[in-house]
Amino acid sequence: TRRLHGQRRSYRTADLAKLIYDQALTPSEVLKRWRGEVDEEEGDNEGSDDEETFFKKSSAEKADEHYEDRAIPILDYDQLEAKWSVDDNIESLRRRFTTATLLNEGKS
Amino acid sequence: MAAPHPEYLRFTTHRSLTHRLVLSTLTGRPVHISQIRSSSPTQTGLAPHEISFLRLLESITNGSSIQISYTGTTLTYSPGLITGSVEGLGASGGVVKCILPETIRRGVSWFLIPLCILAPFSKAPVNVRFEGDGVITSATETGDISVDSVRTAILPLYEKFGILSSKLELRVLQRSCAGPGGKGGGGIVELRFGSQVRLPKTVHMNRSPGRVRRIRGVAYSTGVSASNNARMIHTARGILNPLVNDIHVAAQYDQAPLVSSRDKSDPGAKKRTGIGFGLCLVAESSVDGVLYSADVVAPSSGGVTPEDIGKQCAYQLLEIISQGGCVTRVGAATVLTLMAMGSEDVGRLRLGRDVIGTEDVVGLGRDLKMFGASNWGLRDVDEDDSTDIIVSVKGTGVGNIGKKIA
Repeated sequence: TRRLHGQRRSYRTADLAKLIYDQALTPSEVLKRWRGEVDEEEGDNEGSDDEETFFKKSSAEKADEHYEDRAIPILDYDQLEAKWSVDDNIESLRRRFTTATLLNEGKS
Repeated sequence: MAAPHPEYLRFTTHRSLTHRLVLSTLTGRPVHISQIRSSSPTQTGLAPHEISFLRLLESITNGSSIQISYTGTTLTYSPGLITGSVEGLGASGGVVKCILPETIRRGVSWFLIPLCILAPFSKAPVNVRFEGDGVITSATETGDISVDSVRTAILPLYEKFGILSSKLELRVLQRSCAGPGGKGGGGIVELRFGSQVRLPKTVHMNRSPGRVRRIRGVAYSTGVSASNNARMIHTARGILNPLVNDIHVAAQYDQAPLVSSRDKSDPGAKKRTGIGFGLCLVAESSVDGVLYSADVVAPSSGGVTPEDIGKQCAYQLLEIISQGGCVTRVGAATVLTLMAMGSEDVGRLRLGRDVIGTEDVVGLGRDLKMFGASNWGLRDVDEDDSTDIIVSVKGTGVGNIGKKIA
């Protein structure tokens, strides 16, 4: 398998199994770590002025404020159109349809 | 019956509110939810749809107690027994009425999906009729799926758990899109959930999700020209036809619903609301019970063509199919919750990496654990070259408390 970020491999299923129940992380942090998008030692220790940090909202709080549950994901349809206009992408998706010829299964 | 000092499970924010309330009701554990939009200056506390959901919970259970703080930012809920639509306990003619106010921005599916998770564990059938000036049957911009998707992509999932789909019915008596500004609608929807079980069957959906063999769907135009349907279907077919031949999309044209105009000088006056159009597509796999769905609706502010909607819906469907697995993001909460409530056997479910890798599913796993379910076991699929993940879910044997006592 591929190695990302030098030492740490990311996106491993075993990692998710561990991270998912780590209550110190928010679900979005879990996913970022799983995908290897953040370093392990990332913290929010930037504030210096006491009064300012007192009133500052934590990043989790900010995210929750605007959060509403959604069933349909927010998608960038221009990007999707570009993605599904490429023949290679359509052809690789074809394996998920019954119209695919099973003879090519071994080759791809 | 209740302990003198119940131990509340504590949660914060309105995240997954309905699902947490559902889990609380199923497991009989009271919850305390605080910081509900507490830092929002304009919309502090519980929103109208959340209040309506609490009322609905109250009407299908017996002995629930709900307390909301003055600001609406804190909620305590002690669940009762799920009685369903019992005569004398809120139901008339065997149907509980749920009146939604016109301030609601969420689609009726936001209520239906959690209600359906409770319904198999009820003592009596759960028959609920949603009406009032806030029932939106279409998909919404707030991210809710249409009633058509609930009927064709969510309800069939129950069959696997030994819940008879022949006894489940979702009737759309009046269609409505979201009204002006995305608020309200005038739809009427009736859910009849007549199949109750002692324990849901253990599900094994760990094999290949199969291949998509056909696509079904519903195009709806409410209060706008019926030609919109044909235009949406035509564009969607253009994109999907190279992949599947068997595409059949029903066209549904309806008049816009009539609601009270709320004009004080003329109380009898009516106006039309909930005008719009949208498309729902469901791809059916060669494996029974594997369904991929997509929903797109025209925004209430307008400005999009039916061709845009058809195109977006087709691309959304391709994206959902490419995520793979046996259950999509939309159905994951239903299936994983029913699995966790089943007998103490290990069920297995194959999910796409991008389905389990969403905040909703991660949050779901944590919430289930909070309510006493076992940790999920995760492993890679090794039978084929897909990147799907197999989730092993051990049932808690909670099942139907009402059936245990009665």
